[in-house]
Amino acid sequence: MSGAAVNTYKADLRAIQFTLYEHLHVEQVFTHAAFSHLSREECDATIEQCLRFVNAYTGPLNGLADRAGCVLENGVVRTPAGFKEAWRKLFELGFMSFPMPREGGGFGGPHAIAVVLEELQSGANTAFNMYQGLTHGAADLIEVFARHEDKERFLPPMMEGRFAGTMCLSEPHAGSDVGATKTRARHVEGNLYDIAGTKCWISAGDHDLTENIIHLVLARIDGAPAGTKGLSLFIVPKIRVNEDGSLGKPNDVVTASIEHKLGIRASATAVLNFGENGGCRGILVGDQPHMGMRQMFRMMNGARIAVGVQGLSVASTAYLNALAYARERRQGSSVKHFKDPNAPRVAIIEHADVRRMLLEMKAKVEGMRTLALKLALHFDLAYALAKTDEAKAMYHQGQVDLLTPIVKAYCSDQSFRITELAIQTYGGAGYVTDHPVEQYCRDAKIFSIYEGTNHIQALDLVARKLQEHGGENFRQFLKEIAEFVDTYSHQPGIGAEVRALGEATDALQRGAGALMEFFMGGKIDQVTLVANAFLESMAEVTIAHLLLQAAIIADSKRGQHGDDQSQEDFDFYSGKVMAAKHYVSYVLPGVHAKIGAMIGGDRSALDVTDGGFSTAF
Amino acid sequence: MKILATVKRVPDPETSIKVKPDGSGIVTDNVKWVINPFDEIAIEEALRIKEKVAGSEVVLVSIGGNAAPNDVKEQLRTGLAMGADGAILVVTDAALEPLVVARALAKLVETEKPDLVVMGKQAIDDDSNAAGQMLAELLGWPQATFASKVELSGDQKSATVIREVDGGLETLRFPLPGIVTADLRLNEPRYASLPGIMKARKKELKEIPIGDLEKAGLDVSGRTQLVKMEPPPKRQAGKLVESVDQLVELLHTEAKVI
Repeated sequence: MSGAAVNTYKADLRAIQFTLYEHLHVEQVFTHAAFSHLSREECDATIEQCLRFVNAYTGPLNGLADRAGCVLENGVVRTPAGFKEAWRKLFELGFMSFPMPREGGGFGGPHAIAVVLEELQSGANTAFNMYQGLTHGAADLIEVFARHEDKERFLPPMMEGRFAGTMCLSEPHAGSDVGATKTRARHVEGNLYDIAGTKCWISAGDHDLTENIIHLVLARIDGAPAGTKGLSLFIVPKIRVNEDGSLGKPNDVVTASIEHKLGIRASATAVLNFGENGGCRGILVGDQPHMGMRQMFRMMNGARIAVGVQGLSVASTAYLNALAYARERRQGSSVKHFKDPNAPRVAIIEHADVRRMLLEMKAKVEGMRTLALKLALHFDLAYALAKTDEAKAMYHQGQVDLLTPIVKAYCSDQSFRITELAIQTYGGAGYVTDHPVEQYCRDAKIFSIYEGTNHIQALDLVARKLQEHGGENFRQFLKEIAEFVDTYSHQPGIGAEVRALGEATDALQRGAGALMEFFMGGKIDQVTLVANAFLESMAEVTIAHLLLQAAIIADSKRGQHGDDQSQEDFDFYSGKVMAAKHYVSYVLPGVHAKIGAMIGGDRSALDVTDGGFSTAF
Repeated sequence: MKILATVKRVPDPETSIKVKPDGSGIVTDNVKWVINPFDEIAIEEALRIKEKVAGSEVVLVSIGGNAAPNDVKEQLRTGLAMGADGAILVVTDAALEPLVVARALAKLVETEKPDLVVMGKQAIDDDSNAAGQMLAELLGWPQATFASKVELSGDQKSATVIREVDGGLETLRFPLPGIVTADLRLNEPRYASLPGIMKARKKELKEIPIGDLEKAGLDVSGRTQLVKMEPPPKRQAGKLVESVDQLVELLHTEAKVI
């Protein structure tokens, strides 16, 4: 394709609003003091303006920027044409400030709405949104943990888009193994340290969108213990910032290289050398040594949810593009006339296999969105109830903790699979760059890798989150589904699917039991072998539950208006019911297969000798 | 300086419009409503004048319902979020013809006493292109329609307006108060910013029942009647021709365009 700016982003606002207000009743947060300064009206207006913004500014750059990529020239990274203008506009409109606390100059909006804003921004241009997402995450961490004077110095320019942010964990020898971090910090005076080391895979690590970049760098203070417990977190600006906020001299942060990648090619992924010439100063976050991992986890948890939302966002626009194409593209005749070579050609949406792919994509996309928004709602309620109802707040926080690895891993895994299905729906047209889905597929692959690979997520779930609070979070999770199954197992039209959910949930519980036995029996290797399968099973149970909940609500509305109901309303609500049934029939049964294999205790992948994989090399 | 900017609620230009089977109007279920795009340009122009002339005030005016399914308040809030200072909604569920709209606006001008009224040149739903001109006539004010550039004199006593006319541009100068109607190229309207959206809620949105204006002498009787609406005829399938010669011949004999 040539150099024309084409916006291929598609969003389904009605589906989003259904999940927000008809299903999850997000408007309940406005009854709490923490959010009573807002109402649905401003939230809807914000969503609407954000959609207008992305359609006009960042969506049209998505394909162009993918082809242009980022360029490192004379030590400076240049972002694709149009990014600066879009960045300026983004901060003029102020969407990043929506969920930030009001004391910090934000609007204190609910995360359930912020997730929608993220979906729109990331779906329209994933690479562009990386710069904003990291700036937001870094600003949030500084807001929570930094000293007052550091907040005053760094936060306002970050909120105004004059400074960007990054998170610097990985090193050439320390990726998933963060504890192996070698970057050193030597005390200079007060909370100032000399930083020296190399960080890699740094998203938005260098660029020309802002006058400065604030790196949050994990490093080991000289003499600190080995492993993650000895790590501290530092604010390391690219250019030093004087106490009055003016820019000082460069801080000896050098961009050594940027990666050439499969996807999100307009997001600069940098190798950064800190203190090559001994001139890199870092400010210890909150003046608290050896708290780096705990502090960084704040940003990492937020980023993990954000990566799940990235997965959702790309999958959603891929699905909606495939749907539009399937409605338009004519090929083949109806199977009903398969013997008649002169039968009229039909739109491919009439073919059963295309319908199967479309409905699978719809079910997964809408299920993932509901899951992400439900997590965000738990987050908002935990925050809103923190001071008034500690027990309830703990319940909601527990669900946030439990669901975070599931949102990250399931939405990112499925994003790649959904974008792949979208290509399949197009056929050959989807494989070429004339259509947007091949880029969506390439962009989506990184989601299962960064921010903790999906195996790290699975380990987090089985080794930490399931047991947290003596297993109480997981028990609450199961209880909610059990109550739903009890209530609706004989619901006309969908009772069989609800009962199937009950059976899959029982299987999941047996799987959790098997995990415990592996732990007790010291078979840790077996736990790690099946962890991903367990996470996926739990995700499928969760999604099936949410889709069935939505279907029951939709079914009641489908009947309500009788003959007065418009065709659109009827179609919308029927589609919800069909998507749930499809998911329960074709996806959920996989839970039994996976859990069965887990309990069966197969160890082939562990027992096969290294040479057994192949003797060819 | 006080500026009135008018707002009409219209279906989103990207919505596909369906006509009711009985031809009495369009199907409004699931239609997304927006500010008439030309009115959006008018609001933007009012805001730009306000930004230039210290102490200015922009008040939005609309006529329509205050509850679903005819609720215009959302569009007024959007205009307030763009930066207008206040809004007035004349409440009625009746569909009004341009002359009645112009009469109602004239009543509001009497009480609001603006120095300038900025309006979209037409609404994209019925394309009447009449209310601005009628308002000027009713008030006896000067008007400049189809504006592509508006400039106020330093003392704000007069305006210079470049108009888009057939085959060129026309420059007019006239004393204020007056009326300007906005054409497409006048400006590019801003989006409501997040701070704007948050502030909009606290701004005044005054509702005036249309009956109040009737008591003050507004005549709501119309002169026209909607007889029937029908969708444009479906496009006929095209014809593939074998050669350029055949194309030229058909354009000459069948299409009769050359």
